[in-house]
Amino acid sequence: MSALVFYSLSAVVLISALGVVLLKNTLHSALLLGLCLAGVAGVFASLGADFLFSSQLLIYVGGIAVLLLFVVMLSGRSSELKLRQVNDQWLAALLICAVTFLGMRRYIFEAGTAVLTASPQPTTAALGKLLLGEYAVPFEAVSLILIAALVGAVVFSKARERKP
Amino acid sequence: MILKGRAWPTELWDDPWKLPRYRRGARMLAGLSLGALAAAVGVGELGPWLKFADAELAFASAALGLPDEAVDAAWILVKVAAVVAVFVAAPVVIVWWERKISAHMQSRFGPMRTGGFHGWLQTVADGIKLLLKENITPAQADSWVHRLAPAVALVPALVCFAPVSFGQALCAADIDIGTLYVFAMAGVSVMGIMMAGWGSGNKYSLLGGLRSAAQLVSYELPRTFSVVPVIMFAGSLNLTRIVAAQQDYWFGFLPKWFIFYPVVGQLAFVLFLIASVAETNRTPFDIPEAESELVSGFHTEYSGIKFSLFFMAEYGYMLLSCFLLATFFLGGGSAPLPFLKFIPSWAWFFGKSTLLIFCFLWFRWTFPRLRVDRLMDFNWKFLLPWSFANIAFAGLCLLF
Repeated sequence: MSALVFYSLSAVVLISALGVVLLKNTLHSALLLGLCLAGVAGVFASLGADFLFSSQLLIYVGGIAVLLLFVVMLSGRSSELKLRQVNDQWLAALLICAVTFLGMRRYIFEAGTAVLTASPQPTTAALGKLLLGEYAVPFEAVSLILIAALVGAVVFSKARERKP
Repeated sequence: MILKGRAWPTELWDDPWKLPRYRRGARMLAGLSLGALAAAVGVGELGPWLKFADAELAFASAALGLPDEAVDAAWILVKVAAVVAVFVAAPVVIVWWERKISAHMQSRFGPMRTGGFHGWLQTVADGIKLLLKENITPAQADSWVHRLAPAVALVPALVCFAPVSFGQALCAADIDIGTLYVFAMAGVSVMGIMMAGWGSGNKYSLLGGLRSAAQLVSYELPRTFSVVPVIMFAGSLNLTRIVAAQQDYWFGFLPKWFIFYPVVGQLAFVLFLIASVAETNRTPFDIPEAESELVSGFHTEYSGIKFSLFFMAEYGYMLLSCFLLATFFLGGGSAPLPFLKFIPSWAWFFGKSTLLIFCFLWFRWTFPRLRVDRLMDFNWKFLLPWSFANIAFAGLCLLF
Protein backbone atom coordinates (compact mmCIF):
# COMPACT_ATOMS: atom_id res chain seq x y z
CA MET A 1 0.00 0.00 0.00
CA SER A 2 2.68 2.52 1.01
CA ALA A 3 4.72 1.44 -2.02
CA LEU A 4 1.73 2.21 -4.26
CA VAL A 5 1.33 5.66 -2.69
CA PHE A 6 5.05 6.34 -3.00
CA TYR A 7 5.30 5.36 -6.64
CA SER A 8 2.16 7.16 -7.75
CA LEU A 9 3.38 10.34 -6.01
CA SER A 10 6.75 9.91 -7.72
CA ALA A 11 4.95 9.62 -11.05
CA VAL A 12 3.07 12.88 -10.31
CA VAL A 13 6.37 14.60 -9.49
CA LEU A 14 8.16 13.35 -12.61
CA ILE A 15 5.33 14.01 -15.07
CA SER A 16 4.65 17.51 -13.73
CA ALA A 17 8.39 18.27 -13.76
CA LEU A 18 8.52 17.27 -17.43
CA GLY A 19 5.53 19.52 -18.04
CA VAL A 20 7.31 22.44 -16.37
CA VAL A 21 10.15 22.14 -18.88
CA LEU A 22 8.26 21.20 -22.03
CA LEU A 23 5.02 23.23 -21.99
CA LYS A 24 4.87 26.36 -24.13
CA ASN A 25 2.68 28.40 -21.82
CA THR A 26 4.79 29.84 -18.99
CA LEU A 27 1.81 30.08 -16.67
CA HIS A 28 1.00 26.40 -17.13
CA SER A 29 4.63 25.64 -16.38
CA ALA A 30 4.42 27.67 -13.17
CA LEU A 31 1.22 25.88 -12.11
CA LEU A 32 2.76 22.49 -12.82
CA LEU A 33 5.79 23.53 -10.78
CA GLY A 34 3.38 24.04 -7.89
CA LEU A 35 1.97 20.56 -8.46
CA CYS A 36 5.50 19.14 -8.66
CA LEU A 37 6.48 20.74 -5.34
CA ALA A 38 3.27 19.52 -3.73
CA GLY A 39 4.07 16.04 -5.05
CA VAL A 40 7.51 16.23 -3.41
CA ALA A 41 5.72 17.14 -0.17
CA GLY A 42 3.55 14.06 -0.65
CA VAL A 43 6.66 11.89 -1.15
CA PHE A 44 8.05 13.29 2.14
CA ALA A 45 4.77 12.39 3.88
CA SER A 46 4.80 8.88 2.44
CA LEU A 47 8.33 8.43 3.81
CA GLY A 48 7.22 9.51 7.27
CA ALA A 49 8.87 12.96 7.36
CA ASP A 50 5.84 14.83 8.70
CA PHE A 51 7.50 18.13 9.56
CA LEU A 52 9.27 18.27 6.21
CA PHE A 53 5.95 17.58 4.48
CA SER A 54 4.22 20.54 6.10
CA SER A 55 7.08 22.96 5.70
CA GLN A 56 7.50 21.96 2.07
CA LEU A 57 3.82 22.76 1.44
CA LEU A 58 3.94 25.96 3.47
CA ILE A 59 7.11 27.38 1.94
CA TYR A 60 7.31 25.95 -1.56
CA VAL A 61 3.67 25.64 -2.61
CA GLY A 62 2.12 28.42 -0.53
CA GLY A 63 5.12 30.75 -0.91
CA ILE A 64 7.47 30.17 -3.79
CA ALA A 65 5.04 28.78 -6.36
CA VAL A 66 2.66 31.66 -5.61
CA LEU A 67 5.53 34.13 -5.98
CA LEU A 68 6.38 32.60 -9.36
CA LEU A 69 2.76 32.95 -10.43
CA PHE A 70 2.94 36.61 -9.42
CA VAL A 71 6.05 37.09 -11.54
CA VAL A 72 4.45 35.43 -14.55
CA MET A 73 1.20 37.35 -14.22
CA LEU A 74 2.68 40.78 -13.51
CA SER A 75 5.79 40.87 -15.70
CA GLY A 76 5.04 38.30 -18.37
CA ARG A 77 4.78 39.15 -22.06
CA SER A 78 2.21 37.60 -24.32
CA SER A 79 4.96 35.92 -26.34
CA GLU A 80 5.79 33.81 -23.30
CA LEU A 81 2.43 32.10 -23.58
CA LYS A 82 2.98 30.73 -27.09
CA LEU A 83 6.70 30.38 -27.78
CA ARG A 84 8.78 27.27 -27.28
CA GLN A 85 10.62 27.47 -23.95
CA VAL A 86 13.63 25.48 -25.21
CA ASN A 87 16.46 26.85 -27.36
CA ASP A 88 18.90 25.06 -29.69
CA GLN A 89 21.12 23.85 -26.86
CA TRP A 90 18.58 21.33 -25.58
CA LEU A 91 20.70 18.35 -26.64
CA ALA A 92 23.71 19.59 -24.68
CA ALA A 93 21.48 20.23 -21.64
CA LEU A 94 20.06 16.73 -21.91
CA LEU A 95 23.57 15.27 -22.03
CA ILE A 96 24.64 17.22 -18.95
CA CYS A 97 21.54 15.99 -17.13
CA ALA A 98 22.27 12.41 -18.15
CA VAL A 99 25.88 12.64 -16.93
CA THR A 100 24.77 14.14 -13.60
CA PHE A 101 22.19 11.39 -13.22
CA LEU A 102 24.80 8.71 -13.92
CA GLY A 103 27.10 10.32 -11.37
CA MET A 104 24.40 10.11 -8.72
CA ARG A 105 23.19 6.62 -9.56
CA ARG A 106 25.15 5.05 -6.70
CA TYR A 107 23.25 7.08 -4.12
CA ILE A 108 19.97 6.55 -5.91
CA PHE A 109 20.36 2.78 -5.84
CA GLU A 110 21.55 2.84 -2.25
CA ALA A 111 18.39 4.65 -1.25
CA GLY A 112 16.26 2.48 -3.53
CA THR A 113 14.76 0.58 -0.62
CA ALA A 114 13.53 3.75 1.07
CA VAL A 115 9.82 2.88 0.89
CA LEU A 116 8.48 3.12 4.41
CA THR A 117 7.55 -0.15 6.09
CA ALA A 118 7.30 0.71 9.79
CA SER A 119 4.69 3.18 11.04
CA PRO A 120 6.11 6.72 11.04
CA GLN A 121 7.16 8.53 14.22
CA PRO A 122 6.65 12.26 14.76
CA THR A 123 9.89 14.08 13.96
CA THR A 124 9.15 17.66 15.01
CA ALA A 125 10.43 17.54 18.59
CA ALA A 126 13.68 15.85 17.60
CA LEU A 127 14.22 18.33 14.76
CA GLY A 128 13.65 21.26 17.11
CA LYS A 129 16.13 19.90 19.65
CA LEU A 130 18.77 19.43 16.97
CA LEU A 131 18.20 22.86 15.40
CA LEU A 132 18.41 24.74 18.70
CA GLY A 133 21.03 22.48 20.26
CA GLU A 134 23.70 20.77 18.23
CA TYR A 135 23.16 22.77 15.02
CA ALA A 136 22.27 26.13 16.61
CA VAL A 137 25.28 27.99 15.20
CA PRO A 138 24.92 26.81 11.55
CA PHE A 139 21.16 27.44 11.81
CA GLU A 140 21.69 31.03 12.96
CA ALA A 141 24.41 31.55 10.35
CA VAL A 142 22.05 30.43 7.59
CA SER A 143 19.34 32.81 8.79
CA LEU A 144 21.88 35.67 8.90
CA ILE A 145 22.95 34.94 5.32
CA LEU A 146 19.33 34.86 4.20
CA ILE A 147 18.63 38.23 5.83
CA ALA A 148 21.75 39.66 4.21
CA ALA A 149 20.55 38.38 0.83
CA LEU A 150 17.11 39.94 1.41
CA VAL A 151 18.55 43.33 2.34
CA GLY A 152 20.93 43.14 -0.61
CA ALA A 153 18.09 42.44 -3.01
CA VAL A 154 16.15 45.44 -1.69
CA VAL A 155 19.23 47.71 -1.97
CA PHE A 156 19.99 46.64 -5.54
CA SER A 157 16.43 47.07 -6.74
CA LYS A 158 16.33 50.53 -5.13
CA ALA A 159 19.61 51.55 -6.79
CA ARG A 160 18.34 50.58 -10.22
CA GLU A 161 15.11 52.49 -9.67
CA ARG A 162 16.89 55.85 -9.34
CA LYS A 163 18.26 55.79 -12.87
CA PRO A 164 15.72 56.97 -15.42
CA MET B 1 -48.54 46.63 18.20
CA ILE B 2 -46.86 49.78 19.40
CA LEU B 3 -44.92 50.84 16.36
CA LYS B 4 -45.28 54.61 16.84
CA GLY B 5 -45.10 55.14 13.12
CA ARG B 6 -41.61 53.74 12.88
CA ALA B 7 -40.43 50.86 10.73
CA TRP B 8 -40.00 47.28 11.87
CA PRO B 9 -37.71 45.67 13.08
CA THR B 10 -34.65 47.45 14.42
CA GLU B 11 -36.10 50.81 15.39
CA LEU B 12 -36.70 51.21 19.08
CA TRP B 13 -40.08 50.81 20.70
CA ASP B 14 -40.63 52.21 24.14
CA ASP B 15 -40.62 48.65 25.46
CA PRO B 16 -40.10 45.80 23.02
CA TRP B 17 -41.03 43.21 25.63
CA LYS B 18 -44.64 44.41 25.39
CA LEU B 19 -44.84 42.91 21.91
CA PRO B 20 -46.29 39.38 22.10
CA ARG B 21 -44.33 38.42 18.97
CA TYR B 22 -41.08 39.56 20.60
CA ARG B 23 -41.76 37.54 23.73
CA ARG B 24 -42.77 34.50 21.72
CA GLY B 25 -39.51 34.71 19.75
CA ALA B 26 -37.41 35.03 22.90
CA ARG B 27 -39.23 32.08 24.50
CA MET B 28 -38.66 30.02 21.37
CA LEU B 29 -34.93 30.83 21.32
CA ALA B 30 -34.54 30.01 25.00
CA GLY B 31 -36.50 26.78 24.53
CA LEU B 32 -34.42 25.72 21.54
CA SER B 33 -31.14 26.42 23.34
CA LEU B 34 -32.25 24.62 26.49
CA GLY B 35 -33.50 21.69 24.42
CA ALA B 36 -30.19 21.45 22.55
CA LEU B 37 -28.33 21.67 25.87
CA ALA B 38 -30.48 18.95 27.44
CA ALA B 39 -29.96 16.73 24.42
CA ALA B 40 -26.19 17.31 24.63
CA VAL B 41 -26.11 16.45 28.35
CA GLY B 42 -28.27 13.40 27.67
CA VAL B 43 -25.94 12.10 24.96
CA GLY B 44 -22.85 12.94 27.01
CA GLU B 45 -19.28 12.57 25.81
CA LEU B 46 -19.04 10.91 22.41
CA GLY B 47 -15.78 9.10 23.24
CA PRO B 48 -17.42 6.12 25.04
CA TRP B 49 -20.02 5.78 22.26
CA LEU B 50 -17.24 5.63 19.68
CA LYS B 51 -15.38 3.02 21.71
CA PHE B 52 -18.57 0.99 21.91
CA ALA B 53 -19.10 1.30 18.14
CA ASP B 54 -15.49 0.32 17.53
CA ALA B 55 -15.87 -2.82 19.63
CA GLU B 56 -19.12 -3.71 17.85
CA LEU B 57 -17.48 -3.18 14.44
CA ALA B 58 -14.48 -5.31 15.38
CA PHE B 59 -16.82 -8.04 16.62
CA ALA B 60 -18.89 -7.90 13.43
CA SER B 61 -15.87 -8.01 11.16
CA ALA B 62 -14.40 -10.92 13.13
CA ALA B 63 -17.71 -12.77 12.81
CA LEU B 64 -17.68 -12.16 9.05
CA GLY B 65 -14.03 -13.22 8.78
CA LEU B 66 -12.87 -9.86 7.45
CA PRO B 67 -9.26 -8.69 7.99
CA ASP B 68 -8.42 -6.07 10.64
CA GLU B 69 -7.95 -3.45 7.95
CA ALA B 70 -11.68 -3.57 7.22
CA VAL B 71 -12.48 -1.93 10.58
CA ASP B 72 -9.85 0.76 9.99
CA ALA B 73 -11.18 1.41 6.51
CA ALA B 74 -14.74 1.66 7.84
CA TRP B 75 -13.61 4.15 10.50
CA ILE B 76 -11.79 6.25 7.93
CA LEU B 77 -14.94 6.31 5.79
CA VAL B 78 -17.07 7.33 8.79
CA LYS B 79 -14.63 10.11 9.77
CA VAL B 80 -14.43 11.46 6.23
CA ALA B 81 -18.22 11.36 5.93
CA ALA B 82 -18.63 13.21 9.24
CA VAL B 83 -16.14 15.95 8.33
CA VAL B 84 -17.62 16.36 4.84
CA ALA B 85 -21.11 16.53 6.35
CA VAL B 86 -20.06 19.36 8.71
CA PHE B 87 -18.31 21.09 5.82
CA VAL B 88 -21.32 20.92 3.50
CA ALA B 89 -24.08 21.53 6.03
CA ALA B 90 -22.46 24.43 7.89
CA PRO B 91 -22.48 26.95 5.00
CA VAL B 92 -26.20 26.29 4.47
CA VAL B 93 -26.93 27.35 8.04
CA ILE B 94 -24.33 30.13 8.20
CA VAL B 95 -25.49 31.75 4.95
CA TRP B 96 -29.09 31.86 6.19
CA TRP B 97 -27.94 33.24 9.53
CA GLU B 98 -25.73 35.81 7.80
CA ARG B 99 -28.61 36.98 5.62
CA LYS B 100 -30.87 37.34 8.63
CA ILE B 101 -28.24 39.24 10.63
CA SER B 102 -27.40 41.55 7.74
CA ALA B 103 -31.10 42.20 7.20
CA HIS B 104 -31.76 43.06 10.83
CA MET B 105 -28.71 45.32 10.92
CA GLN B 106 -30.09 47.17 7.92
CA SER B 107 -33.74 47.38 9.06
CA ARG B 108 -34.92 44.67 6.69
CA PHE B 109 -36.45 41.24 7.12
CA GLY B 110 -34.17 39.10 4.96
CA PRO B 111 -35.49 35.77 3.64
CA MET B 112 -39.00 35.22 5.07
CA ARG B 113 -40.97 32.88 2.80
CA THR B 114 -39.14 29.70 1.76
CA GLY B 115 -39.81 26.92 4.23
CA GLY B 116 -42.38 28.87 6.22
CA PHE B 117 -40.51 29.83 9.39
CA HIS B 118 -38.37 32.91 8.68
CA GLY B 119 -37.21 31.54 5.35
CA TRP B 120 -35.11 28.78 6.90
CA LEU B 121 -35.07 26.78 3.65
CA GLN B 122 -33.86 29.71 1.56
CA THR B 123 -30.22 28.57 1.35
CA VAL B 124 -31.25 25.04 0.41
CA ALA B 125 -33.36 26.45 -2.41
CA ASP B 126 -30.44 28.64 -3.47
CA GLY B 127 -28.15 25.64 -3.42
CA ILE B 128 -30.49 23.69 -5.69
CA LYS B 129 -30.72 26.70 -7.99
CA LEU B 130 -26.91 26.93 -8.19
CA LEU B 131 -26.66 23.22 -8.95
CA LEU B 132 -29.14 23.49 -11.82
CA LYS B 133 -27.69 26.64 -13.36
CA GLU B 134 -25.75 26.56 -16.60
CA ASN B 135 -21.97 26.31 -16.33
CA ILE B 136 -20.47 28.99 -18.50
CA THR B 137 -16.83 28.96 -19.62
CA PRO B 138 -15.93 32.27 -21.28
CA ALA B 139 -14.50 32.16 -24.81
CA GLN B 140 -11.34 33.93 -23.62
CA ALA B 141 -10.82 31.52 -20.75
CA ASP B 142 -7.85 29.21 -20.30
CA SER B 143 -10.22 26.28 -20.17
CA TRP B 144 -8.33 23.78 -17.98
CA VAL B 145 -7.11 26.38 -15.51
CA HIS B 146 -10.63 27.81 -15.35
CA ARG B 147 -12.13 24.40 -14.68
CA LEU B 148 -9.60 23.24 -12.11
CA ALA B 149 -9.47 26.45 -10.07
CA PRO B 150 -12.58 25.83 -7.89
CA ALA B 151 -11.30 22.38 -6.97
CA VAL B 152 -7.86 23.69 -6.08
CA ALA B 153 -9.49 26.32 -3.86
CA LEU B 154 -11.96 23.94 -2.20
CA VAL B 155 -10.02 20.73 -1.56
CA PRO B 156 -7.41 22.26 0.81
CA ALA B 157 -10.25 23.86 2.79
CA LEU B 158 -11.85 20.45 3.21
CA VAL B 159 -8.59 18.72 4.07
CA CYS B 160 -7.81 21.33 6.73
CA PHE B 161 -10.56 19.98 8.99
CA ALA B 162 -8.78 16.64 9.47
CA PRO B 163 -6.67 17.50 12.56
CA VAL B 164 -9.29 19.69 14.29
CA SER B 165 -10.26 18.26 17.66
CA PHE B 166 -14.04 18.62 18.05
CA GLY B 167 -14.04 17.52 21.68
CA GLN B 168 -12.61 14.73 23.77
CA ALA B 169 -11.57 11.82 21.51
CA LEU B 170 -13.27 13.49 18.53
CA CYS B 171 -10.53 14.11 16.04
CA ALA B 172 -10.48 12.75 12.50
CA ALA B 173 -6.68 12.60 12.24
CA ASP B 174 -4.71 13.16 15.43
CA ILE B 175 -1.44 14.18 13.79
CA ASP B 176 1.58 15.52 15.62
CA ILE B 177 2.04 18.56 13.33
CA GLY B 178 -1.64 19.57 13.30
CA THR B 179 -1.16 23.35 13.52
CA LEU B 180 1.50 23.47 10.83
CA TYR B 181 -0.56 21.14 8.64
CA VAL B 182 -3.62 23.42 8.80
CA PHE B 183 -1.62 26.51 7.84
CA ALA B 184 0.26 24.68 5.09
CA MET B 185 -2.93 23.35 3.52
CA ALA B 186 -4.70 26.71 3.79
CA GLY B 187 -1.80 28.23 1.87
CA VAL B 188 -2.46 25.96 -1.10
CA SER B 189 -5.87 27.57 -1.68
CA VAL B 190 -4.13 30.74 -2.86
CA MET B 191 -3.08 28.82 -5.98
CA GLY B 192 -6.73 28.10 -6.74
CA ILE B 193 -7.68 31.76 -6.42
CA MET B 194 -4.84 32.86 -8.69
CA MET B 195 -5.80 30.17 -11.20
CA ALA B 196 -9.37 31.47 -11.16
CA GLY B 197 -8.18 35.04 -11.69
CA TRP B 198 -5.99 34.10 -14.60
CA GLY B 199 -8.08 31.37 -16.17
CA SER B 200 -11.19 33.52 -16.54
CA GLY B 201 -9.59 35.63 -19.26
CA ASN B 202 -11.01 38.81 -17.77
CA LYS B 203 -8.99 41.77 -16.51
CA TYR B 204 -11.22 42.35 -13.49
CA SER B 205 -10.85 38.72 -12.51
CA LEU B 206 -7.09 38.91 -12.91
CA LEU B 207 -6.93 42.05 -10.77
CA GLY B 208 -9.16 40.48 -8.15
CA GLY B 209 -7.16 37.29 -8.15
CA LEU B 210 -3.85 39.12 -7.75
CA ARG B 211 -5.22 41.35 -4.99
CA SER B 212 -6.65 38.37 -3.22
CA ALA B 213 -3.43 36.38 -3.48
CA ALA B 214 -1.38 39.34 -2.24
CA GLN B 215 -3.72 39.78 0.72
CA LEU B 216 -3.83 36.08 1.59
CA VAL B 217 -0.06 35.64 1.36
CA SER B 218 0.56 38.76 3.48
CA TYR B 219 -1.98 38.04 6.21
CA GLU B 220 -0.83 34.44 6.45
CA LEU B 221 2.35 35.68 8.16
CA PRO B 222 0.84 37.46 11.21
CA ARG B 223 -1.77 34.72 11.41
CA THR B 224 0.88 32.03 11.71
CA PHE B 225 3.16 34.06 13.99
CA SER B 226 0.32 34.99 16.35
CA VAL B 227 -0.14 31.29 17.12
CA VAL B 228 3.53 30.79 18.00
CA PRO B 229 2.99 31.88 21.67
CA VAL B 230 0.21 29.30 21.96
CA ILE B 231 2.54 26.63 20.63
CA MET B 232 5.23 27.78 23.06
CA PHE B 233 2.86 27.55 26.03
CA ALA B 234 1.40 24.22 25.00
CA GLY B 235 4.74 22.76 23.90
CA SER B 236 3.16 20.94 20.99
CA LEU B 237 1.81 21.47 17.48
CA ASN B 238 -0.84 18.82 18.06
CA LEU B 239 -4.31 20.41 18.33
CA THR B 240 -5.50 17.79 20.81
CA ARG B 241 -2.55 18.50 23.08
CA ILE B 242 -3.07 22.25 22.78
CA VAL B 243 -6.61 21.70 24.06
CA ALA B 244 -5.36 19.39 26.80
CA ALA B 245 -2.95 22.10 27.99
CA GLN B 246 -5.92 24.40 28.70
CA GLN B 247 -8.01 22.04 30.84
CA ASP B 248 -7.03 23.28 34.32
CA TYR B 249 -8.16 26.28 36.36
CA TRP B 250 -6.26 29.04 38.14
CA PHE B 251 -7.47 29.66 41.72
CA GLY B 252 -10.14 27.04 41.07
CA PHE B 253 -12.32 29.22 38.84
CA LEU B 254 -10.34 31.01 36.10
CA PRO B 255 -9.83 28.59 33.20
CA LYS B 256 -6.26 28.21 31.93
CA TRP B 257 -7.29 29.16 28.42
CA PHE B 258 -4.58 30.86 26.43
CA ILE B 259 -6.72 33.98 26.01
CA PHE B 260 -6.46 34.52 29.79
CA TYR B 261 -2.65 34.55 29.80
CA PRO B 262 -1.83 38.15 30.72
CA VAL B 263 -1.19 40.46 27.73
CA VAL B 264 0.28 37.75 25.48
CA GLY B 265 -2.94 35.78 25.21
CA GLN B 266 -5.22 38.72 24.47
CA LEU B 267 -2.79 40.20 21.94
CA ALA B 268 -2.39 36.86 20.17
CA PHE B 269 -6.17 36.39 20.12
CA VAL B 270 -6.83 39.81 18.58
CA LEU B 271 -4.05 39.40 16.01
CA PHE B 272 -5.26 35.96 15.03
CA LEU B 273 -8.87 37.15 14.83
CA ILE B 274 -8.03 40.10 12.57
CA ALA B 275 -5.77 38.03 10.35
CA SER B 276 -8.43 35.30 10.14
CA VAL B 277 -11.08 37.77 8.99
CA ALA B 278 -8.64 38.92 6.33
CA GLU B 279 -7.78 35.36 5.33
CA THR B 280 -11.44 34.59 4.68
CA ASN B 281 -11.76 37.64 2.38
CA ARG B 282 -14.56 39.12 4.45
CA THR B 283 -15.36 42.78 5.07
CA PRO B 284 -13.51 44.94 6.19
CA PHE B 285 -10.86 43.08 4.20
CA ASP B 286 -12.92 42.16 1.14
CA ILE B 287 -10.93 44.18 -1.37
CA PRO B 288 -10.42 41.06 -3.56
CA GLU B 289 -14.12 40.92 -4.34
CA ALA B 290 -15.09 44.57 -3.88
CA GLU B 291 -18.27 44.48 -5.94
CA SER B 292 -18.31 48.16 -6.72
CA GLU B 293 -14.87 48.29 -8.31
CA LEU B 294 -14.03 44.79 -9.48
CA VAL B 295 -17.44 43.24 -10.24
CA SER B 296 -16.67 40.71 -7.48
CA GLY B 297 -13.12 39.86 -8.45
CA PHE B 298 -11.75 36.42 -9.15
CA HIS B 299 -15.10 34.66 -9.38
CA THR B 300 -16.77 37.08 -11.80
CA GLU B 301 -16.74 34.57 -14.64
CA TYR B 302 -17.91 31.61 -12.59
CA SER B 303 -21.48 30.45 -12.55
CA GLY B 304 -23.51 27.58 -11.19
CA ILE B 305 -21.78 24.89 -9.16
CA LYS B 306 -18.28 26.23 -9.83
CA PHE B 307 -19.20 29.54 -8.22
CA SER B 308 -20.75 27.77 -5.27
CA LEU B 309 -17.56 25.75 -4.77
CA PHE B 310 -15.66 29.03 -4.22
CA PHE B 311 -18.42 30.12 -1.89
CA MET B 312 -18.19 26.88 0.08
CA ALA B 313 -14.41 27.21 0.32
CA GLU B 314 -14.83 30.70 1.77
CA TYR B 315 -17.38 29.61 4.33
CA GLY B 316 -15.32 26.52 5.05
CA TYR B 317 -12.35 28.70 5.92
CA MET B 318 -14.54 30.89 8.11
CA LEU B 319 -15.74 27.84 9.99
CA LEU B 320 -12.18 26.57 10.26
CA SER B 321 -11.02 29.92 11.64
CA CYS B 322 -13.70 29.77 14.32
CA PHE B 323 -12.75 26.21 15.21
CA LEU B 324 -9.08 27.22 15.38
CA LEU B 325 -9.84 30.28 17.53
CA ALA B 326 -11.85 28.09 19.90
CA THR B 327 -9.06 25.51 19.96
CA PHE B 328 -6.09 27.84 20.37
CA PHE B 329 -7.51 30.47 22.70
CA LEU B 330 -10.82 29.36 24.23
CA GLY B 331 -9.80 25.97 25.49
CA GLY B 332 -11.48 23.87 22.80
CA GLY B 333 -13.94 21.62 24.56
CA SER B 334 -13.11 22.58 28.14
CA ALA B 335 -15.75 24.10 30.40
CA PRO B 336 -15.35 27.75 31.50
CA LEU B 337 -16.14 26.91 35.13
CA PRO B 338 -15.42 23.67 37.00
CA PHE B 339 -19.06 22.98 37.93
CA LEU B 340 -20.12 23.17 34.26
CA LYS B 341 -18.20 20.04 33.36
CA PHE B 342 -21.43 18.02 33.14
CA ILE B 343 -21.98 19.52 29.67
CA PRO B 344 -19.97 17.40 27.20
CA SER B 345 -16.87 18.83 25.55
CA TRP B 346 -18.20 18.72 21.99
CA ALA B 347 -21.16 20.89 23.02
CA TRP B 348 -18.77 23.47 24.52
CA PHE B 349 -16.67 23.37 21.39
CA PHE B 350 -19.60 23.96 19.04
CA GLY B 351 -21.06 26.59 21.38
CA LYS B 352 -17.83 28.57 21.38
CA SER B 353 -17.49 28.20 17.63
CA THR B 354 -21.06 29.43 17.10
CA LEU B 355 -20.35 32.51 19.19
CA LEU B 356 -17.22 33.20 17.12
CA ILE B 357 -19.13 32.71 13.87
CA PHE B 358 -21.58 35.33 15.11
CA CYS B 359 -18.61 37.68 15.66
CA PHE B 360 -17.47 37.09 12.08
CA LEU B 361 -20.94 37.91 10.74
CA TRP B 362 -21.19 40.92 13.04
CA PHE B 363 -17.85 42.33 11.79
CA ARG B 364 -18.88 41.92 8.20
CA TRP B 365 -21.97 44.09 8.58
CA THR B 366 -20.37 46.65 10.92
CA PHE B 367 -17.02 47.76 9.50
CA PRO B 368 -16.49 49.63 6.22
CA ARG B 369 -14.04 48.26 3.66
CA LEU B 370 -10.34 49.19 3.88
CA ARG B 371 -8.57 50.73 0.90
CA VAL B 372 -6.10 48.37 -0.72
CA ASP B 373 -2.93 50.22 0.32
CA ARG B 374 -4.20 50.79 3.87
CA LEU B 375 -4.90 47.07 3.99
CA MET B 376 -1.27 46.24 3.22
CA ASP B 377 0.04 48.98 5.54
CA PHE B 378 -2.09 47.63 8.36
CA ASN B 379 -0.69 44.14 7.87
CA TRP B 380 3.00 44.90 7.40
CA LYS B 381 3.32 47.88 9.75
CA PHE B 382 0.96 46.88 12.55
CA LEU B 383 0.02 43.20 12.68
CA LEU B 384 3.37 41.68 11.76
CA PRO B 385 5.59 43.72 14.15
CA TRP B 386 3.16 43.12 17.00
CA SER B 387 3.03 39.41 16.30
CA PHE B 388 6.84 39.33 16.48
CA ALA B 389 6.78 41.34 19.70
CA ASN B 390 4.20 38.95 21.06
CA ILE B 391 6.54 36.01 20.55
CA ALA B 392 9.13 37.88 22.63
CA PHE B 393 6.48 38.58 25.33
CA ALA B 394 5.64 34.88 25.36
CA GLY B 395 9.32 34.09 25.85
CA LEU B 396 9.40 36.46 28.85
CA CYS B 397 6.23 34.85 30.21
CA LEU B 398 7.77 31.40 29.97
CA LEU B 399 11.01 32.62 31.56
CA PHE B 400 9.35 33.94 34.73
